[in-house]
Amino acid sequence: MRYVYLVLFAIVLGLPFAVRHVAMRGQTIATEESNSLRLIIVTVHNGDIRREFARAFDAWHRSHFGTGVVLDYRVPGGTSDMVHFLQGRPTDPQIVWGGGDYTYYHDLQPLGLLQPMHLDPRLLEAAFPQDTLAGVHLYDGTKDSRGTSTPQWVGVALSSFGVVYNPQLYQTLGLSTPAAWADLANPKLFSLVALADPAHSGSAAVAYMMVIQRAMADGEADFFKRNPQLKALAKSDLRKRPDYQAAIASGWKRGMGQLLLIAANARYFTDSSEVVPTDVGRGEAAAGMAIDFYARVTEETVGPDRARYIAPYASTAITPDGVAILGHVSGPQLELATQFVEFLLTPEGQRLWILKAGVPGGPVERSLRRMPIRRDVYTDQSGWADHFNPFEEAGGFNQRGEWMALLSDTRPIWDAAWIDSRDALLDSYAKILKVPDEQRRAELLRQLADVPITMREVEDRRTERLRLEAAHADVNLWSAQQRILWGGRFRAHYAAVAKNAM
Amino acid sequence: MTSIEQEPLLATMLPRRAKRARNAPRPALVHSILAGCLYVFFAVFLIWPILQIVRTGFTRPNGALTSEYFLLIFKDAVLVRGLLNAAAIAIGVTLLTLIISLPLAILSVRYTFPGRGLLNGLLLVPLVLPPFVGAIGMQIVLGRYGPLTQLVGGGPMGIDWIGKYRAAGVVIIEALHLYPVMLLNLQAALANLDPAMEQAAANLGAGRWTIFRRITLPMIRPGLFAGCTLVLIWSFTELGTPLMFGFYTVTPVQVFEQITEVAGNPVPYALVVVLLLASSLLYLIGKVVLGRGFDATTTKASVAAGSIRLRGWKAALAAGAFGLVFLLAVVPHVSVILTSFSVTGSWYKTFLPAHFTLDHYRQALTDPLALPSVRNSLEYAAWATAVALVVGFAAAVVIVRSTIRSRWLIDALCMLPLAVPGLVLSFGYLSISIWLVKLWPVKFHHPAPLFLNVQEWPVLMLVLAYAARRLPYVVRAAAAGLQQTPRDLELAASNLGASRFTVLRRITLPLILANLIAGALLAFAFAMLEVSDSLILAQRMDYYPITKAILDLSQRLGDGLYIASALGVWAMVLLTLTILGANALLGKKIGAVFRL
Repeated sequence: MRYVYLVLFAIVLGLPFAVRHVAMRGQTIATEESNSLRLIIVTVHNGDIRREFARAFDAWHRSHFGTGVVLDYRVPGGTSDMVHFLQGRPTDPQIVWGGGDYTYYHDLQPLGLLQPMHLDPRLLEAAFPQDTLAGVHLYDGTKDSRGTSTPQWVGVALSSFGVVYNPQLYQTLGLSTPAAWADLANPKLFSLVALADPAHSGSAAVAYMMVIQRAMADGEADFFKRNPQLKALAKSDLRKRPDYQAAIASGWKRGMGQLLLIAANARYFTDSSEVVPTDVGRGEAAAGMAIDFYARVTEETVGPDRARYIAPYASTAITPDGVAILGHVSGPQLELATQFVEFLLTPEGQRLWILKAGVPGGPVERSLRRMPIRRDVYTDQSGWADHFNPFEEAGGFNQRGEWMALLSDTRPIWDAAWIDSRDALLDSYAKILKVPDEQRRAELLRQLADVPITMREVEDRRTERLRLEAAHADVNLWSAQQRILWGGRFRAHYAAVAKNAM
Repeated sequence: MTSIEQEPLLATMLPRRAKRARNAPRPALVHSILAGCLYVFFAVFLIWPILQIVRTGFTRPNGALTSEYFLLIFKDAVLVRGLLNAAAIAIGVTLLTLIISLPLAILSVRYTFPGRGLLNGLLLVPLVLPPFVGAIGMQIVLGRYGPLTQLVGGGPMGIDWIGKYRAAGVVIIEALHLYPVMLLNLQAALANLDPAMEQAAANLGAGRWTIFRRITLPMIRPGLFAGCTLVLIWSFTELGTPLMFGFYTVTPVQVFEQITEVAGNPVPYALVVVLLLASSLLYLIGKVVLGRGFDATTTKASVAAGSIRLRGWKAALAAGAFGLVFLLAVVPHVSVILTSFSVTGSWYKTFLPAHFTLDHYRQALTDPLALPSVRNSLEYAAWATAVALVVGFAAAVVIVRSTIRSRWLIDALCMLPLAVPGLVLSFGYLSISIWLVKLWPVKFHHPAPLFLNVQEWPVLMLVLAYAARRLPYVVRAAAAGLQQTPRDLELAASNLGASRFTVLRRITLPLILANLIAGALLAFAFAMLEVSDSLILAQRMDYYPITKAILDLSQRLGDGLYIASALGVWAMVLLTLTILGANALLGKKIGAVFRL
């Protein structure tokens, strides 16, 4: 009798494997029998994307070349896991697929992991009538000796970062639909904004940087309004002008202040950016900053009355999500890999990202709800799961490389100001919100947003960090010490404003 | 013979044992060899990881010694607050478990009432259910529009339980998970209490409260100390629950975040050293407050205490108290079960899910992360159990059967993993691996073998970490079995010419088989549930064990939480069967396995 539990234990243990074995038996045989070619792909894409593209590419290859292809995926984890995996220079995968332009430019290309791709020039031209979207390159600009484009990676989809909000909660709170980043600083959203920790989420960090860049761009626009004659000046000459620098720096400071007020509304700073739309959909948070398709997938899961996505007009980064062929691939495998990349750039491959599930040419199980990168596919949006056009939404604005350089050194300052000093920030913010006089309250909020740091200091930090890195000094220790110093400075600032509010 | 299952570990460290050992005959060669092997095992897998952390936390990248990282922690207001928060949580959890367990312990030891046996057994169930799976459930129960809000009726904005009571949530979840540890220790202490003392006090006219305060409480101090220490250190270093609740300003989470943030950062190692020191400090404070001047002999009952039979409403009240605690403890788990069966997003603004489905189980079977993680966990846990079984049996033989003087040290070393935070050990393994991988090419001119590189192939390190962490259960179970097996049987076989191996195979092993299976089951169950080791050591997705997969899935978009719940439910069923199986095999002695 007492061994009954052991038997039950064994049954429960084996059950999932037995069920899976029975359930999967038919499927495996079908694919094994009918396919002879195999392409190994390292990817960060989720299961839905992997399944749908495997199915679609297999069908496409059959109709064009007469043979089916099995896509054999390797999924090491997130983007940094993927880079780490590829650093070990595995010899079996042929393709790397997924990850932003930053990953390709800063991680994979410098490591020499990729090879120049010889894609059909007509396809490349049709897919990318312009190389850039509001200044951001959509594919790598490598060219061979004859001037033919041989990119080491190409973008195949676009990602943006925007606001995900819960319309039900917004209605309850009496708030109108958010339209700009600044709307998240509304004191009514106190403790209701879900944010990701910039130290853990690279995409969130880029989004925070965009809030600042928008303010910097406004500063620049103001400068040109005052000095229209300088608009024609070369960038390098402009940068030498102290008045131009001052305008940009004041924009930077305004952006930091705006972010600080959003951070004061934060419910938490999660290390997983996927938690943000989930919590908005569950009604735990009213709004958050999220990647477009995370938000759209949540919308599909819980319904549009509980989660909606908007990209703030002309103030979000819209960046390409890439694909590349690994350096060691050659012969027939190279041909197959090139066919896969070309498929992703065809109108069929592009529409798969956005068509509703079940629509002809669309995904079979679930819509993927990501933005295609080909401008021409946006002209006919019939059967689409979402309707938008990033080429218009960008509003001529996108991230700027030279301003992006400050990101690495701004991140620890956000940590010090928002996360390390969170209690002091909340204490000060709560005191301000209790001030009955509206004007005085607005003045105190302005004081709070007047951050105790300048752009110059961040630039100096960058210079110092690069110097220490070059000298192989203990940068970790230095960073930790700096962070403590900044934390102290911000806490003093919050305490001073709190005192004024008393 | 002193029975280990009746006495806490500290009793084995008392001087009287050493004195007796001095008069004992010379230890057998086999025992000496076994003891030697055990010392090597402990040195490599227990002591080295701890020393390695201390080293890393005090060494600059260029190899020079420094105390700067260590001192930095105390200059950093946030890290200091993390320590204070962790300590506050630990104290809160300990007090709450005490409040829950003390009345229950008295009720179950001093009184009988219908259903006592079953209710007492059920109380152990929360122990084998992973607390962080409970945290998933609790997030739903405590959601702004979750069942609790529906029960008490919130306004249009609902009630923000988690936002307002984050720390309290962590304390309650951990207390509801850990009270069985306290309960088992208190029950043992109360059962061992000599009723003559209390009777004498009563004869001298002392009231019930006076007797409790002046006689009972002081005499159960060893059990109180063991229970409090275990709960205090466990909750002080708990990683999974605060992580799930998004409570980041506690030291274990800070360590975890820092290690995932920057590779090669020595600050988290220094932080782990602080954690270890703080744990030791808590242990010492507990010892000073509760363990001072106690001698196990005085707590040993000379007469068995008769229990009072409760009837009518009194019996119902007693059973009700047990039932209530059990129900509270399984609320999160019930919520996980309901989640696993509810249609995605359909549990919103309702007390129960609006629509049910089996779909998440189907997805769990086909998800590329879910089922492989189950297979990984089974593989790691099976190997870890095998290692723990061999080492644990050897240790039990040395502790119970040998006359080696230092056997108390082996006993203490076996129990050390209970007192050393899981986070510390797993960090130690990680640190050793990184160090070896760096050192290997310098010394041997080729890359380190794969099994040493935890970032590429964490299997070996995971198995060893699981085995070391769960060794105490196997040792306790095996020792209990050996003590019940009369030595005479083994001696008789030897006299008849049987070799040592034959005696082991034909006499000892069959007689303690049930104990070994029970110990193995528990070691296996806890290895399947291990959180700290898994989160820190399994850094590659294809090697994720089930706990890391559940954490990962629960944060995934769409139906991730639901698939995680389905996985959690499967784990719960498996582990409940495990504890019931172990309970059936060990009978009343199951409690001994969880004692310090």
